[in-house]
Amino acid sequence: MAEKTLIMESNDGKKIEVPIDVASRSILIKNMIDDLPEGAFEEAIPISNVSENVLTKVIEWCTHHRSDPPSSGDDDDTRRKTTDIDEWDQKFMQVDQEMLFEIILAANYLDIKPLLDIGCKTVANMIKGKSPEEIRKTFNIQNDFTPEEEDQIRRENEWAEDR
Amino acid sequence: MAPLMPQAPHKDDLNETWMFLENGINNVMVKLEEGVDMKNYMALYTAVHNFCTSHKAVSGHALQSQRGGSSKSPSAPDAPHKTTQNQLTGNPAHLLGEELYKKLGEYLSRHLEWVYNESTGHTEEALLSFYIREWQRYTTAAKYINHLFRYLNRHWVKREIDEGKKNVYDVYTQHLVKWKEDFFLKVHEKVMGAVLKLVEKQRNGETIEQSQIKSIVDSFVSLGLDETDPTKSTLEIYRYYFQRPFLDATRVYYEDESRQFVADNSVVEYMKKAEIRLEEEKARVGLYLNNDISKDLTNTCLDVLVTAHSELLRDEFQPLLDNERQDDLARMYRLLSRIKEGLDPLRTKFEAHVRKAGLSAVEKVAAEGDSFEPKMYVDALLSVHTRYHSLVKEAFNGESEFVRSLDNACREFVNRNKICKSGSTKTPELLAKYTDSLLKKGSKAAEESELEEMLVQIMTAFKYIEDKDVFQKFYSKMLAKRLVHVSSVSDDAETSMISKLKEACGFEYTNKLQRMFQDIQISKDLNKNYEAWLPTTLLDEEERKKIVDSHFQILGTGFWPLSAPSTSFLAPPEIVKTSEKFEQFYYGKHSGRKLTWLWQLCKGEIKANYIKSTKVPYTFQVSTYQMGILLLFNESDTLTYSDLQKATSLSPEILDPNLSILLKAKVLTISPEGTKPKPGSTFSLNYNFKNKKIKVNLNIQIKSEQKVETDDTHKTIEEDRKLLLQSAIVRIMKSRKKMKHVQLVQEVIHQVKSRFPPQVPDIKKNIEALMEKDYIERLDGDEIAYIA
Repeated sequence: MAEKTLIMESNDGKKIEVPIDVASRSILIKNMIDDLPEGAFEEAIPISNVSENVLTKVIEWCTHHRSDPPSSGDDDDTRRKTTDIDEWDQKFMQVDQEMLFEIILAANYLDIKPLLDIGCKTVANMIKGKSPEEIRKTFNIQNDFTPEEEDQIRRENEWAEDR
Repeated sequence: MAPLMPQAPHKDDLNETWMFLENGINNVMVKLEEGVDMKNYMALYTAVHNFCTSHKAVSGHALQSQRGGSSKSPSAPDAPHKTTQNQLTGNPAHLLGEELYKKLGEYLSRHLEWVYNESTGHTEEALLSFYIREWQRYTTAAKYINHLFRYLNRHWVKREIDEGKKNVYDVYTQHLVKWKEDFFLKVHEKVMGAVLKLVEKQRNGETIEQSQIKSIVDSFVSLGLDETDPTKSTLEIYRYYFQRPFLDATRVYYEDESRQFVADNSVVEYMKKAEIRLEEEKARVGLYLNNDISKDLTNTCLDVLVTAHSELLRDEFQPLLDNERQDDLARMYRLLSRIKEGLDPLRTKFEAHVRKAGLSAVEKVAAEGDSFEPKMYVDALLSVHTRYHSLVKEAFNGESEFVRSLDNACREFVNRNKICKSGSTKTPELLAKYTDSLLKKGSKAAEESELEEMLVQIMTAFKYIEDKDVFQKFYSKMLAKRLVHVSSVSDDAETSMISKLKEACGFEYTNKLQRMFQDIQISKDLNKNYEAWLPTTLLDEEERKKIVDSHFQILGTGFWPLSAPSTSFLAPPEIVKTSEKFEQFYYGKHSGRKLTWLWQLCKGEIKANYIKSTKVPYTFQVSTYQMGILLLFNESDTLTYSDLQKATSLSPEILDPNLSILLKAKVLTISPEGTKPKPGSTFSLNYNFKNKKIKVNLNIQIKSEQKVETDDTHKTIEEDRKLLLQSAIVRIMKSRKKMKHVQLVQEVIHQVKSRFPPQVPDIKKNIEALMEKDYIERLDGDEIAYIA
């Protein structure tokens, strides 16, 4: 049985054929399929904000999660509050930082909420338990606070310190 | 990138982006039928996305990715916190999108301005068509645009709503709000005017395009947005702009119609019309209105069609009752039952009507004079009940309040009518007599099921009787006779009746009846034992000859409504031996008991061997008294009055009527001829006696005896009531110790009324009587105390 597919085209011109249920993990694509007549998808869909290697990665995730039940708003919230990540997703996210951010951006653009959540959780886990200095180092951020500003912030956030 | 994104705007440029978007959404709004190109769809979505993620407004402190300065650093809310500046100043993280939202709103206003201008060219049904067409086009487009602006919904709109901003909605809702504000509020009156005209046409019998109204209703309902929770909808708009004018128009329409109709038609016709109209309006809700209107619409219609004319309807009730128009009565019931307190006046009228019907039925019976059968009277009572009971069931839905009115009316005419003018004890007496006639052998109700049915009917009448103790008295008297004379039609029927009475009045009421029944059963066994015992005590053949075939019934003194004979009596020697034998047997079994012979209830058969005119000798069925008289003629053919009186020891009150019966039957002749039996008369055996039957029943109840018996029964009722009242008073005082006089009287009435309706003076009299007997005493302050 031939699976129904459509073609996605990355911004560097690469065309990738994707089964419809996989592509429909993207709410953008899913809505568009609902809105437009069937004939509209003979041409490749231009995914103008995503490059081939990132798009491939996103499609890999969507393929793995193609039969996940659509999550309802409520358990979304509880799931988002924990930073637990499913084992397969953890492995999936073992990529360099640039790729990680690209995946987050693509998920945001394509409206793939669970993938966006996992990406953000991964970043959160990178921050967790680190001192500001370590965080700056991790993400290559320059400290642009004056010592006075830093003092003020520390005072304001004293309550949150672990004791 | 150019070939992939046609005309893609520069993402930092609001005007350029908006120009691009407006062109796109305008195509969706006004040329959707031409279809939306997939690439355009993507380009529009992307333009919104790109604008919202552009850096223009976020200066400086964005989180930098490793690539540093990349324009693609995440600035979505789900991304890590962007800027410490915000924490310092207390401003929320800024999201882009407000400008797009505003521009979209302005675009919608412009579009709706155009729609409004177009609408002014239409009226009536054409306006409805226009409204529906534009509504459908607009909402379809809204769905597309909502998808295209999804990125705006997900981030900027969501943040604004989370922060509690008013007047910011998701893009789809924004469309609805704009429609309401910029179009709906300007046209709703005109649109409703057209809707109401259509509905009026339909009410007048024309065929209309119902789906139009349905679409308008749906549109009005969709516009009801809950300001506090955009995910919910309310019916506010629909209720205010649709329901209100719709109900007003309905009221006016039916006010006019019903006024007109009532003027030209009969009330019966009007009720039919009203019922049809109510059904139509109910159906209308299902056809094209929102269910929410259902209750108000029904109430409005009821108000105008029923409540406004309720006086007129009620005035028709009596004529309908008089003519027994069951269907019309049912219709009136259905209509008036639906308005508040609509039925109360009918119940009063109904009760009065039934009472009148009952009284006049009784009067017809009374017109027959004193000779009527109890059956006629009971049938008259029951037929009225049956007729109106079925009316209540069929026309008034068996409604409990009408049942109560029926019961009230029946209780009235059963206890107080022309026949029981002298007192309410007449009805229970007649009812008991009728019951007796059914349960006695030879009754006309042949079938057992038929008999049972009639007993059920009797219980219906019984239920209404106030003097239930009177019924009990008469019933037990007659039951006693049936049992003693073995004249019950069947044991099953007797048991059935007793259990019915027990069910209605409780164990106490039927206790004695049941004991009587038991005595008869016990007596059967006793007779068997006696028959077995008898041969063992007989000495010889000579003695055996002196014993006659016999059957004995032992009746417990306290349970049977019987008293010892009113006359002395010397039993004839022919049966004395037999009775003595039985006494010997019985005392042997139960020492300490005393047997009293109720000669007045005994009977026997004697053979008239002296009459030679038939081959088989005549058998006379006689009472023991008659037997005593006749057996004397074995010794002599002629006897004087004083001979008879001396030999039998019967008092003249008993002797005379019995002689009269024997004379009338021509068993005896009197001399001088044609006179009544009196001292000095001489009686002779008539050898020429003739009768069609071989068995001749001479044991006939004497008329005067019957009358005396009835009077006696009434007398004992008075006596029993006194005892019942006194025992109730003592019972109450014993448990309460002290009580106000008034309360005591109330309590007594309460306890006794299931037997008979007590009179307050009687209660007071009995309280006095008990004081004299020192059961109770009067204290200060009208209080009464129990003396232990």
